[in-house]
Amino acid sequence: MSVAAIELRQLSKSFGLARIIQTIDLSIAKGERHAIIGPNGAGKSTLFNLITGKYHPTEGSILLHGEAVDKLKPYEINRRGLSRSFQITNIFPKMTVFENIRCGLLWTMNYKYSFWHLVDRQPDLTEKAEAILEQINMTGRRNMLAGVLTYAEQRALEIGITIAGGADIIMLDEPTAGMSHSETDYIVGLIRNVTENKTLVVVEHDMGVVFDLADRISVLVYGEIIASDTPENVRANPKVQEAYLGSALEEVED
Amino acid sequence: MSAVTDSKSSRATQAISIRSLLPWIIAAVLLFILPTVFGSRSALTIMNQMAITIIFALSYNMLLGQGGMLSFGHAVYMGLGGFFCVHLMNMVEYDGLMLPLPLLPLFGGFFGLLFALIIGSFSTRRAGTVFAMISLGVGELIAACSIIVVAFFGGEEGVSGDRTMGPEVLGLDFASQQEVYYLTATWLIISAAAMYLYSRTPIGRISNAVRDNEERAEFLGYSQRHVRWMSFCASGFFAGIAGGLFAINFEILTEENLNLATSGSILLITFLGGVGFFVGPIVGAVVFTLLQTVLSLYTGIWQLYLGVLFLLTVMFFPAGLTGLIAIHLRSYHLGKIGLLVRPYLKMLVPVVTFILSSAAVLEILFHARHAALGDEEMSLYGLTFNSQGVLPLSIAGALLFGSFLLIKHLAPQFRDSWDEANHDGASQ
Repeated sequence: MSVAAIELRQLSKSFGLARIIQTIDLSIAKGERHAIIGPNGAGKSTLFNLITGKYHPTEGSILLHGEAVDKLKPYEINRRGLSRSFQITNIFPKMTVFENIRCGLLWTMNYKYSFWHLVDRQPDLTEKAEAILEQINMTGRRNMLAGVLTYAEQRALEIGITIAGGADIIMLDEPTAGMSHSETDYIVGLIRNVTENKTLVVVEHDMGVVFDLADRISVLVYGEIIASDTPENVRANPKVQEAYLGSALEEVED
Repeated sequence: MSAVTDSKSSRATQAISIRSLLPWIIAAVLLFILPTVFGSRSALTIMNQMAITIIFALSYNMLLGQGGMLSFGHAVYMGLGGFFCVHLMNMVEYDGLMLPLPLLPLFGGFFGLLFALIIGSFSTRRAGTVFAMISLGVGELIAACSIIVVAFFGGEEGVSGDRTMGPEVLGLDFASQQEVYYLTATWLIISAAAMYLYSRTPIGRISNAVRDNEERAEFLGYSQRHVRWMSFCASGFFAGIAGGLFAINFEILTEENLNLATSGSILLITFLGGVGFFVGPIVGAVVFTLLQTVLSLYTGIWQLYLGVLFLLTVMFFPAGLTGLIAIHLRSYHLGKIGLLVRPYLKMLVPVVTFILSSAAVLEILFHARHAALGDEEMSLYGLTFNSQGVLPLSIAGALLFGSFLLIKHLAPQFRDSWDEANHDGASQ
């Protein structure tokens, strides 16, 4: 059996007395599209922030490709091939779309902390950035300031920045939050396209998106995973139905 | 989500074009011919000071404008660079150190860099308030040290040297002001170009990224702390070069060169010029130096005017003087800049009257309160009158009030013209 892309062992996190993540064991295989769902306040974002190094676990460990990363800083985890987006749009608003993407490329294309290269004169950098713009259909917005894009475009750009570095694990935090139907369809298509052959972990409220996209779904309620299974099995799970009062899941079945 | 495919006009990779070199060539030529126009000793001194302030302000903007670090102690790096250079100058004079003078600023830069490396190692952990507070603390610490550690800083008299004692370079001993000017101008071009290029490197771009969104930058593989530290070091290096040039020009450094007042004025200069533009600090440094040297010849309260100018900039033009010019670009690109000529001319007289009459009110009050006893005669704008009298003050007051009303009256008209000039009529 190959090593899991992400493995959580006995993971818990407390803020003061509040234990937000109870005790979680979870294994996400390489190339899997994994969705994490759960009601508001279930700890989905905390779990995300633990895996990506923004918080450090109170107990337990996090393994990336079999190596413990729970004591590393976000940038160190990123350098090991994990990239994420945020619940609140997180781009560089004062830079152009092109520059946003280019910033996402610098580290992995080995420009790192260089002060002896000029960014405008690196054909490889420019070519790769153009290719990613093409991939997220934003070539036409190339020279616009990211801050003036529409909301959906900003989200798309963020996905572009997230995948630019070539990470093999992509974590997206509510990529379709606050979007119209057509925008959601567009973003889901985009996600499917850009995460091909990569491990995807996505937190999402829109059940349509979740059941459409995921190979496996984990349901997080009050800091505990009550089910982690294929979409069909999760839908049939009585505990999940209870947690959701049937409402959200029924909508999907319609 | 329509992806409008316009032409990829500005393909990034191009050869070094004349177009991108043009501003630098113009600047170099300008710097070269300036002394032939303004050749007097005092003019040369002002221009030298201007050049030094420009380098210092540009280095400060590497922190504030490009790195998002608000420093209240940047004079430390210029000052320390300067002090070390004066000591080097003395070593050249007394210990026979063979260091040609033109290279001295480079050593100033290295010392600035060294201290930025040390202090930055802990001050750049966090941006925002923490960074600002540490910079303030360190600034105060070094300024206090400069009075206590007399052996190095020379106490209140400072340390002085003689720049002419080194080995001659190309037959120049740098005794004349003009030779020093050309040396300073050369370093100005080199430093400004280097700082501009720095902003186009990966670290320069990522420093912008960390400024805008440090969290996002961390998830791109960059340690925000290391990025800030590197920018901080680069900034300290160029501040040190400015310090070295200061040492060459004035041959003396005192506590004043690294105290908080100097740190404060470089913040003011940079902000006045505009932190969002590369040329902003240059504009700020030129305006500030002119106000400082020229205005102070005519009035004792020039700092008040500077303060008001700064306040107005912060409140109404946060993009600085450069931003004030930049907001005209839109109407220029729309080809409607011509529409603004008449409104500007119309506003010119009332606005100038307003400025001059408010200055007159301030000057008369200042003279009436602070002139020596019995000295009631003052001259202003070529007129001589009794500052204690009621009439001059009333006239100035009336002009002030009148011009204010006129500006208020013309303002709506002006705003309409402004909107018209900035309105993209064709597409809407």
